[in-house]
Amino acid sequence: MRHESVPMYWRNIPQYYRLVAKRCRQCGAVYFPPALRCRCGSAELEDYDELPHEGRLVEYTVLYQVGTDFLKQKPLIVGLVELNGGVRAVGQIVDAQPDRLAPGTRVELVFRRVAVDGRHGLIMYGYKFRPVQP
Amino acid sequence: MTGVYVVGAALRPAGRHYGENIDDMAAEVLGKALADAGVDIEALFVASSTTELVNRQQILGAYILESLGIDKIPAFRVECGDGSGGAAVTAAYYALASGEYGCVAVVGVDKPNDVLSNQQVDVYAAVMDTYFERYFGFTPLSHAALMAKMYLKRHGYKYEDLAAWAVLMHERGAENPYAYFRRRVKLEDVLSSEYTSEPLRLYDVAPLVDGAAAAVLCRDRRDGPRIMSVAVATNAVPFNMRSEYDTLYSLREAAARAYKAAGISPRDVAAAEVHDSLSIFGVLAVEGLGLAERGGALAALKRGGLRVNMSGGLKARGNALGATGVYQLVEVAWQLVGREFKRADGRYGVVHSMGGVDRTSAVIVVGL
Ligand SMILES: [Zn+2]
Repeated sequence: MRHESVPMYWRNIPQYYRLVAKRCRQCGAVYFPPALRCRCGSAELEDYDELPHEGRLVEYTVLYQVGTDFLKQKPLIVGLVELNGGVRAVGQIVDAQPDRLAPGTRVELVFRRVAVDGRHGLIMYGYKFRPVQP
Repeated sequence: MTGVYVVGAALRPAGRHYGENIDDMAAEVLGKALADAGVDIEALFVASSTTELVNRQQILGAYILESLGIDKIPAFRVECGDGSGGAAVTAAYYALASGEYGCVAVVGVDKPNDVLSNQQVDVYAAVMDTYFERYFGFTPLSHAALMAKMYLKRHGYKYEDLAAWAVLMHERGAENPYAYFRRRVKLEDVLSSEYTSEPLRLYDVAPLVDGAAAAVLCRDRRDGPRIMSVAVATNAVPFNMRSEYDTLYSLREAAARAYKAAGISPRDVAAAEVHDSLSIFGVLAVEGLGLAERGGALAALKRGGLRVNMSGGLKARGNALGATGVYQLVEVAWQLVGREFKRADGRYGVVHSMGGVDRTSAVIVVGL
């Protein structure tokens, strides 16, 4: 409905493209989305660019009621994914048939178009997941 | 101890109010609540979620007061998404308890039907994390569906068990003159309705409705049900980092604090209104308030032992976003005294008002 902010998109590209997280220097806890302070109390968090890009599906849903920017893509498969190592992320699942997905399905990160801003023509990209072909 | 009492109230039937501007709609219901209370107010608290997104209006309180010709008092707006109502009541309670004011009013209002239904999805998605959830197309519905799937699996239920929630809410809504849906539905209607985000179907999603509700609260004026305690808690854990998906953290914390401050336990609760913006949240709220054991709400529903949401809940009364929590407060207060609703079988009632997907919850304990 409203156009997206270009600076908003631009400044979040490290997260949208590469899952850049924050890691606590004191205890090693990883935060995605990035946080400024760790639950352990430390404020020493550093960029962490090494989240694995493979993992397993924890649960998923097929979403039919979508916002105006996603009408052409509907339905969306939305999955909760546990990346190898334990950090979880929610992402769209693409190149998949819903009835062939299940908790435990192996997935990998892919780089895709997320939405097109109809008013300004801004094309926005980001991570999604797809099943790994056995 | 300071006592805060609900001395007057009014509700607008929830629905599609195309013919009215948002400030007038709020002013109308506030005027009725003031007449009901028969007192002057020293401050106004406005609960509204979408006045910028839908109506492009800020400082809504000033325009509401303009309509009523009430000059010079302060007006504050509280925004916590669809949990704004409970948060505004809490803020009003604190303002009275501080001793600053003797009487204040809370008015909740939103008009989601001023935009088209696809745009309503955009508007409601603003309660999600705008950078890391809304950006990717996620909505409260998608995340509720994930929680529903995990809840049903973990506790050994089928979707049919969850579908019974909508049937019960419609049954209750049929008796509520302020409800948007005033008709009963059959289980088959729910089961044959379209998927919105599987396993959730159309009947699992509360309709967004235009609505306005107002309550006048006074300190130490024993002229109506008393607000025994209020508590608000936010949940700072992002959805993907939750350790459990079959519970509402924000509610658990707020409920524990509110029950303790009121000196009551869940057994004392005779009337409850919970935030079933999505059916699964109503189920989790019943458990979070301790009205059923963990994983036991749907079993209790099956046994016929669930006495929550006599209004029909958000499912049947409607989700009036920022106004919802104010509706709930008035509904519980009225159930305790038997006004408009069948009188509750006890002295205490509780309100659960939630913003987004377990991001913030207010719990309000009301007593006679
Ligand atoms: Zn740490």
